[in-house]
Amino acid sequence: MSSRVEILNDGGYRSDGRRQYELRDVNIDLSQQGTADGCCTISHGLTQVLVTVFGPREAKMRSQTLHDRAVINVEMSVLPFSTGERRRRARADRRILELAATIKSTFEPVVQTTLYPRSQIDIFVQVLQQDGGLLHACINATTLALISAGIPMSDFVCAVSGGVHATSPLLDLTMLEENDLPHMTVAVMPRTSKVTLVALETRLHVDRFAEIFSLAGEAGQALHREMRRAVRGRTGRLVGVMETGMKQPIGGEPLERDVVMDDRMDF
Amino acid sequence: MAAPSTSKAEKAYIQASLQASPPLRADGRTLLDFRTILLETGVAPLANGSARLNIGKATQEGGGGTEVLAATKLEVEDVETGDGVDGGRLVCSVTCSPSAYPHMSSIALDELQYDLTTILNQTLSHPSLHPKNLSILPGKKSWLLSLDLVVLADAGNVFDALFMAARAALWDTKVPRTRAIQYQTRRSGYASKNTDAMEVEGESNITSGFDTRDMARAAADFELPDYWDEGEVLDGRDRWPVCVTLNLLPPVHFLDATLPEEASTTIKLLLAFSFPSNTQSSLQAMRLTGSGEVVLAQMKLLMADGERYAREVFHALELKLRDEDIRRNVKARDKFTVR
Repeated sequence: MSSRVEILNDGGYRSDGRRQYELRDVNIDLSQQGTADGCCTISHGLTQVLVTVFGPREAKMRSQTLHDRAVINVEMSVLPFSTGERRRRARADRRILELAATIKSTFEPVVQTTLYPRSQIDIFVQVLQQDGGLLHACINATTLALISAGIPMSDFVCAVSGGVHATSPLLDLTMLEENDLPHMTVAVMPRTSKVTLVALETRLHVDRFAEIFSLAGEAGQALHREMRRAVRGRTGRLVGVMETGMKQPIGGEPLERDVVMDDRMDF
Repeated sequence: MAAPSTSKAEKAYIQASLQASPPLRADGRTLLDFRTILLETGVAPLANGSARLNIGKATQEGGGGTEVLAATKLEVEDVETGDGVDGGRLVCSVTCSPSAYPHMSSIALDELQYDLTTILNQTLSHPSLHPKNLSILPGKKSWLLSLDLVVLADAGNVFDALFMAARAALWDTKVPRTRAIQYQTRRSGYASKNTDAMEVEGESNITSGFDTRDMARAAADFELPDYWDEGEVLDGRDRWPVCVTLNLLPPVHFLDATLPEEASTTIKLLLAFSFPSNTQSSLQAMRLTGSGEVVLAQMKLLMADGERYAREVFHALELKLRDEDIRRNVKARDKFTVR
């Protein structure tokens, strides 16, 4: 009997007590952070990411703007105490730059950048804690932050990671599982079922790929429901507050109020 | 660090209202009032001690305020071969999130980070504040205590927030218990009190290649005994300083400036005081930043005032930290037994 942790035991349970296709607890916090236009703190289990969005705004450097669309700028930083071992990563670390570039290319086709020519959208990603599934947490948080900033997007982007142990596929891997298993991250647009990102850094058998890929697509739908509920909850609260603020004073002139937009979202 | 755009007229308006009698501030505080400070310890599960501090968060969900995250992490360092120091060492670093300073270029941000790190590091790693329990094996192994602070949002008065968060994280830090292991020959029969002698049983006349009893060595290594808590608290809990920033606008000075107020005062005096429980308070750091001049005779008065404010901040913080301790230990235990 080895002392290694069993990835998937005979009863079908994983090391943290989840079943094969079970996702970790998702916690979404869309409350305001500093002066950001939109922000989101998301935690998938023990992985926690904070994303703040600024813009669309005038670019810091004029030369970097494009005449026909907005430029998306992603900056990422990992807190030194986010992992078990303290490690200081410079902002120009290769791994971080790569993750930032991946996030950027994931969102470029989704964000309607053509609406804001000659401007810039800044996305700042802060990794507060990591326990596997860093990329998918970053992508989900970025989606929500962009939405709470009111930046038009053609759809949500919901990402989830998947791996395979022997022949059984697993979803939403922890750090422990990620170190031992081949895994990939898939980002789907739930409404159109399009895929904006597939990231695979390890070797995976071709026969298993299709299986994980379709599973991740399904998990994306589940995440989408969760994310949409968070967005709707926050929007509902904001609208509620607006309405109490707009209450007609007794005996006074009725206040002029905004035209109520059709708030029905048909997803 | 100033707000991206504060016009001359706006600055003059803020200055005039601060100097008016009675003085007026945009949020209705008096000159010496702080905004609401929120503090939570134990926020980073992978750190040895951590705290999140917010000054001036809006009461509703609105957010805002200066937000700082601080965490400490302990690492073992080798004194002989590595760059460890006998007795351990403390290293601070401050990182500023680009979202806290959205108008700054990354070079300017690096410079700001460097400035903040210097002030924190010089103050907190001073020998007079050095905790005594950072040594593992004298002359061999020691702990490196790294304190990382992250400014997540800046709405003014970042220095006070950093020092308070640093103090809270250090207060929360637990140093793992260690036990020295000594390999010794049977004949010497000496075992010091707090080392755990590992003696090899057996006949002495058997000579085996595996028998290493003749190689006499002093305490060679250490182990981490299993124990129910995470270790003992860091020594010198009560010594860590608190900082107050006096924003000078002669003839008045005010505390806890917001960003527009910071932009309209030219000169700031940082005072970091330590209030050890048994001895007198001591001034651990002092910085005069910004352009302008202060009359020398006034300095003495300012420092006396600063000490008074710092003492109040210190007591309030101490109360909150003890409260947090109770919340996380006693109350959590009670909750557990009820379940």
